[in-house]
Amino acid sequence: MKLVFFNDYRLGVLKKEEDRVVDMTLALEEIPRVGPGDYMCRLIERWDGFKVRLERNAIDLPGIPLSEVQLRAPIPKPGKILCMAANYLENGYLKEPRPINGFLKNASGVIGDGDTIHLPAAEVTIFHHEAELGLVIGKRARNISEEETYNHVFGYVNFIDVSARGLGPPGADTFLPGKSYHTFAPMGPYLVTADEVPDPQDVQVQLWVNEELHQDYSTSDMGHSIPKTIAWLSSIVTLNPGDVVALGTNHQGLGSLQDGDKVERESPGLGRLTNYVSDPRKREWPRGIDQEMADRVAGRI
Amino acid sequence: MKLVMYNNFQLGLLQDGGVVNLSESLADVNAPTPQDLVNAVIADFEGTFRARIQEIAAKGQAIPMDQVHLRSPLPRPGKIVAMAANYLENGALSEPRPINGFLKSPETVIGEGETVILPPHEAAVFHHEAELGIVIGKEAVDVSAADAMEHIFGYVNFNDVSARGLHPNSFLWMKSHDTFGPLGPYLVTADEVDNAQNLQVRLWVNGTLRQDYNTSDMGWKIPETIEWVSSIVKLEPGDVIASGTNHQGLGPIQDGDVMEMEIDGLGRITVNVKDDLHREWHRGLDSDMADFVAGRTTEPPAWMRR
Repeated sequence: MKLVFFNDYRLGVLKKEEDRVVDMTLALEEIPRVGPGDYMCRLIERWDGFKVRLERNAIDLPGIPLSEVQLRAPIPKPGKILCMAANYLENGYLKEPRPINGFLKNASGVIGDGDTIHLPAAEVTIFHHEAELGLVIGKRARNISEEETYNHVFGYVNFIDVSARGLGPPGADTFLPGKSYHTFAPMGPYLVTADEVPDPQDVQVQLWVNEELHQDYSTSDMGHSIPKTIAWLSSIVTLNPGDVVALGTNHQGLGSLQDGDKVERESPGLGRLTNYVSDPRKREWPRGIDQEMADRVAGRI
Repeated sequence: MKLVMYNNFQLGLLQDGGVVNLSESLADVNAPTPQDLVNAVIADFEGTFRARIQEIAAKGQAIPMDQVHLRSPLPRPGKIVAMAANYLENGALSEPRPINGFLKSPETVIGEGETVILPPHEAAVFHHEAELGIVIGKEAVDVSAADAMEHIFGYVNFNDVSARGLHPNSFLWMKSHDTFGPLGPYLVTADEVDNAQNLQVRLWVNGTLRQDYNTSDMGWKIPETIEWVSSIVKLEPGDVIASGTNHQGLGPIQDGDVMEMEIDGLGRITVNVKDDLHREWHRGLDSDMADFVAGRTTEPPAWMRR
């Protein structure tokens, strides 16, 4: 199933042909709603009680054309976003994964399809896109084993871990200014339930800037596998329904983001997420792939 | 006003040495969770809830403190932003370090009487870090230092419990273990705090005073801190900024310890420490860390060199 928010954050499901969206507002009336922020999380929490109803409605009701709605981020404010750091073998360049590491990313910074990434005025060396597979937690997970991992997964979503480089004191953990600027968490266009992703450890992750392909890698190159990642995170923090785990990026193909750029992110079955970039300062960086960064992370220099 | 959560996360007001129930009278507020309720109260406090709470309190009967079980007043904040190395270490540093901070997991929060559980991860040591917690009252994006104080709802005791020496030594590993964020016992509105930049912060372990510093020693003061944080993330009502600790007085915590923390006017929060591995460290202060952070030595503590 493909879940979306659309227009004024109405919750919908795509029909099988993926050209129409069925409004599920009435079917979900009994779920308490404060705002859109955590509404999807509350549905995920109660999924077993609503799944069949939503499936049936998506077949029975006509829906409205997808082209006539404005999609929103499917999880506009997750309880947490946890990101993995340097978690790829860089197309096999690294013989073994780096020591496992991650960080929290600002969950208020989520944007959806068609939204704009606003580059802050801060004196950065560069802004980068990092295309990632986002995993969405379905069931509370605390100290779970690798074997149990997939019982706690609800689904998957395209994610971009937008990054600002060169901020904060050298040598320190600077993930807050590096990763958590407002609008730095594009996600969507929809949230896809796990049953539609046959092998999350073999998903192609692609990202284009101005229609030039920058990132194009498979999650099979991941350093610490999904089960290892989730087990590790759950040994630190409780993972709750609707929490998002961004599984890390392959740095081969990262490039700059600057004013006026159009960024597209796609994985098979997860749809295509399109975002725009705005920089009031109109700064310019070299366009295309940042080869120096790629070589550094892969250990070639 | 001093707001509390108690028993099964009822919202209450501290009054006459007891607690007046607010949740029952505020049942019309759309709030599926206790945190939603306190967020709603904070977000429209001056417009609606200050007056409503005063009205409820005037008629309400206080339940004696010994008959309530206090909980954390902010059981699960939308976010916790914590400042890193943000003190002048009793003036040892002539200027603040480059500004830095991190996100701490909202699942870390525990309240009065609860227990910090040390995880089995092979940390070199676990430390307490007593801090002034700033609770945001209004949405804040790109707020200037001059306007910052208007965005504060109140203050709370916060203990930024930390694991040292995990590799890599990232803030997630170090700071975000579940139960690593004692917060409470109550949330005090800003009007009850004359000068947040002049509060004594104290923390005891097993009755022995460890940390005892004043928020006047803060490097980046509260307005600059809010300006910086709000230049990065959108701050929302009920979010918490932990304003950093003075490292003079940090020491190990271990199985069986009792930590008490008190800031002038914010009450005293007492929490326990539990470690299923029963690891042992020396009892007392970690002067190697204190000296390094204060710049009295260039030799970092052993765990930093691992």
